[in-house]
Amino acid sequence: MQEPIFSLLDVERTYELRGRGWFHRASRQLKALDGVRLDLQRGDTLALVGESGSGKSTLIRLMLGLEPASDGRVLYGQRDLAQLDAEERKRFAREVAFIYQNARGSMNPRMRIEDILAEPIRLHRLCAETALPGRVAALLDRVGLPAGLLQRFPGELSGGQIRRVAIARALAAEPQVIMADESVAGLDVSVQAQVLNLLRDLCRESGITLVFITHDLGVASYLCEKIAVLYLGRIVEQGPTEAILNAPRHPYTRALLQAFPRFDAPLKASLSGEIPSPVDLPKGCRFAGRCSEAQAACRETDPALTMFDADRQVACLFPVAGAR
Amino acid sequence: MDCAVAMNPQAADMPANQEPLLDVRDFSLRRGQAVVLDGVNLALQPGETLGLIGESGAGKSTLALALIGLLRAPEVQLEGSLRFRGSELTRLRETDYRRLRGNKIGLIFQDATAALNPCFTVGEQIAEPLKRHLGLSKWDRRERAAELMHSVGIPEPRLRLDAYPHELSGGMQQRVMIAIALACNPELLLADEPTSALDVTIQAQIMELILDQVRALNSSAVFVLHDLALGAQVCDRIAVMYAGQIVEEGPSERVLAAPLHPYTRGLKSCVVELGSRKLEPIPGQVPPLNAMPAGCRFAPRCPKAKAICSAQRPVAEIRDGRQVACWFID
Amino acid sequence: MSDALNITAPPGSQWKRRFLQPLLRQRSAMVGLAIIAVYIFAAVFAPWLATHDPAAQDLMASLQGPSAAHWLGTDSYGQDLYSRLLYGAQLALIIGFASVALGLVVGVAIGLAAGLMGGRTEWVLMRIVDGLLAFPELILAMAFMAVLGLGTENVVYALALSFVGPFARMTRGDVLQVKNQPYIEAARLMGVSTAAIIWRHVLPNVVSPILVQAGMRVSIAILLESGLSFLGIGVVPPTPDWGLMIAEGRAFITMAPWISGVPGVALAILLVALNLLGDGLRDAFDPTTQKDA
Repeated sequence: MQEPIFSLLDVERTYELRGRGWFHRASRQLKALDGVRLDLQRGDTLALVGESGSGKSTLIRLMLGLEPASDGRVLYGQRDLAQLDAEERKRFAREVAFIYQNARGSMNPRMRIEDILAEPIRLHRLCAETALPGRVAALLDRVGLPAGLLQRFPGELSGGQIRRVAIARALAAEPQVIMADESVAGLDVSVQAQVLNLLRDLCRESGITLVFITHDLGVASYLCEKIAVLYLGRIVEQGPTEAILNAPRHPYTRALLQAFPRFDAPLKASLSGEIPSPVDLPKGCRFAGRCSEAQAACRETDPALTMFDADRQVACLFPVAGAR
Repeated sequence: MDCAVAMNPQAADMPANQEPLLDVRDFSLRRGQAVVLDGVNLALQPGETLGLIGESGAGKSTLALALIGLLRAPEVQLEGSLRFRGSELTRLRETDYRRLRGNKIGLIFQDATAALNPCFTVGEQIAEPLKRHLGLSKWDRRERAAELMHSVGIPEPRLRLDAYPHELSGGMQQRVMIAIALACNPELLLADEPTSALDVTIQAQIMELILDQVRALNSSAVFVLHDLALGAQVCDRIAVMYAGQIVEEGPSERVLAAPLHPYTRGLKSCVVELGSRKLEPIPGQVPPLNAMPAGCRFAPRCPKAKAICSAQRPVAEIRDGRQVACWFID
Repeated sequence: MSDALNITAPPGSQWKRRFLQPLLRQRSAMVGLAIIAVYIFAAVFAPWLATHDPAAQDLMASLQGPSAAHWLGTDSYGQDLYSRLLYGAQLALIIGFASVALGLVVGVAIGLAAGLMGGRTEWVLMRIVDGLLAFPELILAMAFMAVLGLGTENVVYALALSFVGPFARMTRGDVLQVKNQPYIEAARLMGVSTAAIIWRHVLPNVVSPILVQAGMRVSIAILLESGLSFLGIGVVPPTPDWGLMIAEGRAFITMAPWISGVPGVALAILLVALNLLGDGLRDAFDPTTQKDA
């Protein structure tokens, strides 16, 4: 077995909520992530799926080293992200690229597209100054944009164009891992399809490892070979995309699948209620309150993520049996 | 193109004098030189749900705004006719429109956070149309507001009456909007992307709620949507819009199962379904309003376009119980 | 909308399109600029344009109205008002721009430091700034002049000090806003050094409101400087200064109104012109006013 490129060892992330006022000083804890264990192999394409508030964005910020883990360890290769020295930090910055959900906001509005794309190349001295324009033009071409855009500012580009530029910038430093947060959300379907195809082709051609955050199971299944479903700061189900789509084992995954709009099935509100606040978590399974299958034991015992079969992990006391 | 009514299969079953609730004929809307909506024909029978579907810039939100009188001269120029229960809307005075909005026509917007006033409690905001249109007393308004909140699935409505919008989640705010829209038992509900800011699970809950309420009141609904699959699930009829025109309109199961217009077909092949193998994006992009092609507006992006397509605008034809505007319907 | 059309725009025209054209389009700003250009011309070429030594007294010719010898008349010491006006423009513009420049450099440095470092540094710096802002500009400048003593240089320092507060406060506010933009974090993620982030990503995004503010402050500086001199705690006589000239003419306002009137009108026109230009700059920099760009 190959060595994983990323490993998360029981990662936790808590935020202290300071009480307001003189009499409510007692601080409470918000557990955004709670005991996440995850291995990412080189060349994997993994989708992190869940409702807003499930902790998927926090997870990716931890993996990028933007926030420290409160407990547990995030390993890149074999090194703990929290203990990288300056040299390793720089290598990490080159090898791991991030595409923001807000692509426009992630670009300096006063820089031209040309300079935005050149910045990471210059930074890591990937080519001579004379070869730079050619390289930048090649990047833009690779994401299917005309060279005329090089002189533009981010504010002048359309939603689809700006996402492509964000992808081009992520590719600029020739990364090994690309992480992307909802990179196609809010786009028109035809533009979304173009960007999805672009991302898929790039990953397949260059063998880049992809971690893609989305709330859209369709997008997840199109782009990624593996899916991890998050609920209230925990991975509740994880496995190959095909298998999860065909036979979800966790009731939450099943509910997500049923809520997904489709041409061939009637509308079904599969899940009642909303994701609860991660401040005061219930004692047992955190999904029990919304679960249609919940039994008495579910409210007592907190299920751990365990192997269900060869390549599937599920955190449920009573996994869904059989095909969908 | 006044056949849109006649060809409606449901209309055929109904008495001939049955008047459509909403009747849009040759409706065009100009903003200066730009033709934002071009010759739109639509009919909505009482009890039907209609989905306006298309990409941004297709004019679906513009059509919705024009329907409720929020886009009027001199800001824009209207042509053709918009009839609601037989009365002509394009000539309605603003005061009469106000009597219609929030009363006979309920509105649900995409962004509940922006649409709700942060300075008033949700109870007060639900009571507002009850006071203005129905003239209920203060006590009755509060009672009815609590009832409405209960019916849209807000738990503990009496406690939440005095909550401010920011104290509620996005899904709950959208429920409050629905309660406001339904307050006066409208005959037509207009929902502009009511769930695009919400998670899929909440989206399903909200859509189900809207449909249940619309059915219970026996009213009609017009949804502005960008999600084709969702349209298939919630709408009886679908009107696919492109660049300000309706390119295909008809019963949703037929339009989406076997699209006749190349644009509808293209849109459908862009939709990510569970387990999609290959997406085939429509090449190019929507032309800008000031540079619309002369003939069929979709011709530059259409895989089947021939010479006539860029020369002459196709007239909507009735085929298989729907109107389709294309020169080469197969 | 205009995507397809703009792609063909020639490279290098962006700056013109985004900034210069909107500015040129504003007629009132252009009028202001033209007037200021005249003043600058007068100031620069004062030695050649002047008909008399601005400080030469000729008591025989005192309190004369405009004439062929003295185009704008003379004051109570018989000094030529026209010549004093030209040299006064020199002084006004030098003090105006110098004090704003100095106040800007110090204020922006403090604002940047406070906004970027945060924590205790920010607290201390901003309390100092609050202290400066607690006094009206004129009072603060007067107090400082009282400590430093009279003189042109000291006027510049006193005015600069009174501008440090507004510039620091404004810079800090903008920095705090820019600091939390995703593109700053994105740059950090890519491994851009802190110095480069400040230079390339923070500064360009806070600089335009600061420049607009600076443009407006020049007129305030000139007004304050005249005020100080008028009150007798600014520039030392007989330096040709508008404030001094107005003060001197006060006693003769009924018999020789031109002594105060000439510098007063010159000052008023310059202030109006500076404000017109300042407004134009603001509108040109403000993206919300360029809907068509």
